[in-house]
Amino acid sequence: MDSKLLEILVCPLCKGPLLYRKEAQELICKADRLAYPIRDGIPVMLEEEARPLEAEEEV
Amino acid sequence: MNKMAIRQAFERAAPAYDAAAFLQQEVARRLDERLELMKIQPSLVVDAGCGTGYALPGLHRRYPDARLLGLDLAHAMTRLARDRLPKPTALARMTRRLTGGGVGHGVVCADLERLPITQDSTDLVWSSLTLQWVADLEATFRQVRGMLRPGGLFIFSTFGPDTLKELRTAFQGLDGHDHVNRFADMHDIGDQLVYAGFQHPVMEMECLTLTYAHLKDLLHELKAIGAHTVLGPRRTGLMGREAWARLERNYEALRHEGRLPATYEIVYGHAWVGPKDRMADGRKVIQLKMERRKAGLES
Repeated sequence: MDSKLLEILVCPLCKGPLLYRKEAQELICKADRLAYPIRDGIPVMLEEEARPLEAEEEV
Repeated sequence: MNKMAIRQAFERAAPAYDAAAFLQQEVARRLDERLELMKIQPSLVVDAGCGTGYALPGLHRRYPDARLLGLDLAHAMTRLARDRLPKPTALARMTRRLTGGGVGHGVVCADLERLPITQDSTDLVWSSLTLQWVADLEATFRQVRGMLRPGGLFIFSTFGPDTLKELRTAFQGLDGHDHVNRFADMHDIGDQLVYAGFQHPVMEMECLTLTYAHLKDLLHELKAIGAHTVLGPRRTGLMGREAWARLERNYEALRHEGRLPATYEIVYGHAWVGPKDRMADGRKVIQLKMERRKAGLES
């Protein structure tokens, strides 16, 4: 992931900041508790493709 | 139009897209000519609905110092578009290794109605032949305006209502269904830009006519550009043989100088973002929008 690109990405729903999880290749929105996948190096910023965080999942 | 269906159509169309996309290329060229007149020096340019990325090299030529970001709903398209991003120079690669920073060009899979881009970050949003797929144009314009900085420019092309008018006519009376999607009129698009808070919108249109040897060539091309959803929920594949024969006969009546014409009405538009403090009172803006809509219906 290009760091400059990361700087301008936000959650498409709340426009809040995202947490980059390099190992999991995910971008996490804490407010919406969604993990957006990065597939083949490309962030997929679609709600229907995002993984809802588990209730006990720490972010 | 169902967004998932549109996305899937484009995911499938991605590999064959460019061969059939003469129209897209030509419209992008004409849209780029309009940028000639704009006095801007953008540092971040977003291609909203970049498809295969066919417009990215042109945008890079025009704004060599700008960072480019391609957005598309289909992941398969963004993968193709990534290959068309400017290659980082040796110096940029070295700097990146040393500082851990990035080059800044990139592609992202995104929905124009829910943009994942920081507010006030972008100087130019370019969108060519994409807005026709959007369900809520005004909401999309608000999203685009949100990511643009004050003084930023939004420039776009889309299909107008006369697009595929021959096909619409040929379908008429066939089975009582309207097979060709309706496209917004340029006046409505201009109004929606204003409701969304843009300033000084300029709209133009022109009709381009492409000709085909056979009806199936036209339909094949629509399919190849992922645009067969343009034919609405009732696809031609579901039509009976008799209805299909009548459709062909109807269209044959339009044959001119040995070819079947298909009109594409291309709407071009651009608008600017003014100072953003005016939009601070959100309720007031919504009120104004509803009043204008009512006025529009009565007139």
